[in-house]
Amino acid sequence: MAILEIRHVSKFFGGLAANSDVSFEVEEGSIVGLIGPNGAGKTTLFNCITGYYAPSKGDVVFRGLRMNGLQPDKVCRLGMVRTWQKVRPLTNLSVLENVMVGALCRTNSLFEARRMAQEQLRVVRLDQKGALLAGALPIGERKKLEVARALATRPKLLLLDEVMGGLNPAESEELIQLILEIRKKGITQMVIEHDMKAIMRMSQNIVVLNSGEKLAEGAPEEIVSNPRVIEAYLGAEV
Amino acid sequence: MSIFVQSLISGILIGGVYALIGIGLTIIFGVMRVINFAHGDLLMLGMYATYFLFTQFHIDPFVSIVITMPLMFLYGAFLQRFFINRVLDALPQNQILLTIGLGLIMSNTVMLAFTSDYKILSTRYSSSSVSLHGISISLPLLVSFAITTVITIALYWFLLKTDTGQAIRATAQDREAARLMGINVKRMSIIAFGLGSALAATAGALISPTYYIFPQVGSSFTLKAFVITVLGGMGSVIGATLGGILIGVAESIGGVYFGSGWKEVVVFVLFLLVLLFRPSGLLGKSRT
Amino acid sequence: MPSPSFIRRKWITSAGGKRVIPLLLLASGVALLALIPLSVQSTYALHIMILTFVSIIMGSAWNILGGYTGQYSVGHAAYFGVGAYTTMILLQFRHIAPWYGMWAGVGATIVTALIIGSICFRLRGPYFVLASIAVAEIFRVTALNLKDLTNGAEGILVTELPPLKFGDTVITDFTTKVPFFYTGLITALFVIFVTRGVQHSKLGYYFQAIREDQDAAHSLGINPALYKNIALVISAVFTSVAGSLYAVYVGFIDPGTVFSLDVSVQIVTIAIIGGIGTILGPVIGAIVLVTLSEALRSNALTNALIHAGLVNADSRVGVFLKENLSHAHILIYGILVVIVILFMPQGLLGFARRIVTRKRKG
Repeated sequence: MAILEIRHVSKFFGGLAANSDVSFEVEEGSIVGLIGPNGAGKTTLFNCITGYYAPSKGDVVFRGLRMNGLQPDKVCRLGMVRTWQKVRPLTNLSVLENVMVGALCRTNSLFEARRMAQEQLRVVRLDQKGALLAGALPIGERKKLEVARALATRPKLLLLDEVMGGLNPAESEELIQLILEIRKKGITQMVIEHDMKAIMRMSQNIVVLNSGEKLAEGAPEEIVSNPRVIEAYLGAEV
Repeated sequence: MSIFVQSLISGILIGGVYALIGIGLTIIFGVMRVINFAHGDLLMLGMYATYFLFTQFHIDPFVSIVITMPLMFLYGAFLQRFFINRVLDALPQNQILLTIGLGLIMSNTVMLAFTSDYKILSTRYSSSSVSLHGISISLPLLVSFAITTVITIALYWFLLKTDTGQAIRATAQDREAARLMGINVKRMSIIAFGLGSALAATAGALISPTYYIFPQVGSSFTLKAFVITVLGGMGSVIGATLGGILIGVAESIGGVYFGSGWKEVVVFVLFLLVLLFRPSGLLGKSRT
Repeated sequence: MPSPSFIRRKWITSAGGKRVIPLLLLASGVALLALIPLSVQSTYALHIMILTFVSIIMGSAWNILGGYTGQYSVGHAAYFGVGAYTTMILLQFRHIAPWYGMWAGVGATIVTALIIGSICFRLRGPYFVLASIAVAEIFRVTALNLKDLTNGAEGILVTELPPLKFGDTVITDFTTKVPFFYTGLITALFVIFVTRGVQHSKLGYYFQAIREDQDAAHSLGINPALYKNIALVISAVFTSVAGSLYAVYVGFIDPGTVFSLDVSVQIVTIAIIGGIGTILGPVIGAIVLVTLSEALRSNALTNALIHAGLVNADSRVGVFLKENLSHAHILIYGILVVIVILFMPQGLLGFARRIVTRKRKG
């Protein structure tokens, strides 16, 4: 069953189309990889899905509900949350408090929020660092903090925007394991990533964007052998 | 009808002075992204300098500009070098508070030196006017507009034609890129603040024959300067020129039709409307 | 190794039993303060303390919006003035006692705040600051011009307060400063208490999340517009109460003393100097500012300089200082703001804390 349906979504800025007529579905419980060269419109699509932009055309349907024009906070409360390509920690709050802010979306009690936050910090293995200020974390841990904070809002669908960007191989591997672990909890994920190997390992389904349009969609092995993808995307890098 | 024309003309004339104030603020903002809340106080210093030179040395206010302008340029450069420069990377709020603090120091120091009494600088021509087709125009206002025009043209020439001017404009467009191009950004900032301060002080000198002079006179001009720059688009010199004239006219005509007590409200309401609906200014491209 | 400033300040967040000692200290401090009017005869000392209480209320109120939520309003004079004017108009022209009028002021302020919020909160950063100033200026000019309602530039002078009665017993007739002292003390304590409550609640976390990163907060289920308006209303209500208190205490207001940009700047200064986003910051800021500016106003500073032999009372400098320094008490606001922004951007409290942590480490 599809948890998220993107139906003919277009987003124009002035005359420029950042996304044009993109359609695909995200199966519940799966990991969907969203790839494409820089400027392909991946982050714009995330923004359209999570309420930061209203799509110029088309519909975003989440669990049977049309989301167009819903504000990000409503989107989050309905169970869809995103992380940021450029991490956005709440710098002057502690690591634990950062995650508590996420948890407070589901509870009014600080006590309960603290408990939920500690639980998520354990998931990303930051439970020893809860008392530090978020601004003091190195980049790898900031990325994990973003994931923990997003998870604390108890999402059904988690959108990760280049969560491995800027990490060393060991840290990336840790995050891949984390993403696979999150999947086991039944949380659907949509992942923007540049590391093709990582995407191949994690995703059940891959959507390729190019110049704002959907170029291809399919299982990882189909995508790597798709000549159009190789030409437009992989060809440019290899 | 003649009342309308008369207030239109005097609005344009006073608008020229407002333009000077606005241009100074917009250059400072453009180059440093700092909103200078002490701008009106710099203008106030210009007024007092003019008053001082007039009463002590009998130098005509319009002539004393040649002394006031370079002095205030140096003063502005000093402020930039030792104060503003240190908060360029701080939160905008802290920059604002720093300039507010500097403004308070200026106005209160002047109060210590000159007391808070209202001073009047009365020249022979302070209240004289020229008549044209039944429309009377204040003479000092006319002269100040002429001087404003000359200064504005000179300023445009400086910014467009000289190397330093172009470097300033480049810094205003993209500080980082300018630095990479080998422009001495720090020096440009000092020049920009000096220039802004000299322009504000000149405006102060020009209006001193027609305004009350008192230590707190600056704050209303600071506010006006913001309105002008926001109307014109923050950082745009042409925008500030037109914005100044627009505010002069809006005040003048608003004063006639809503009563002089309400003219400031007209300006502030206009300001809020622009902030809300055209945050990049009347001339700027609308936000997408 | 994280730098000292990144280490969580334990004494604020520590839980449970450790709080007993500070609590006891607090209680005895409050008790001492409450006893002051019984032992201190000097009306001048009481006057300074009343002003300090009003400043604490103003600074703490601003702190909720500016310090915790990160919305640097430089237009809080609007709420201060609306409170002051509503109370004074009702008192002088309608003979309604200020302890009722104050609530009308609060009501008027809430309406004002929601209107201002709906306009200004669409803007961010410097644009928000500019808009908040513009709105306050509109109020000042309006108060100047609506002469029938506000008496215009002449202001409102209240000569007599009705006695406060409980049944038939007169509790106070406001002939001394003592009732103002207690009103100020209780209100200031209440505001501090509320700030503490906010800080330790969902509301406080949401406010701070918006301050730190509005977009990130939005993605985590926080409606920024809603919570900014909540912070504004809390902040404005207390500012309005401070305005009412100040007006009734001084007995005179005009647009320049309650609606001007100077008032807004003073409010911000109190919080900044002490340290924003902390409970104690505005308290410290209020104490420092009121003491210093009163020392200037009353010529205490000049007298001290003369006593110390640094300045000759009859010399030109001495005479000049005596005549003028008292008029320039605002100067101290300016100098303090500049020093704090340049050298201790975390305020006096943060500065002190840094020194303490450094000492402990070294």
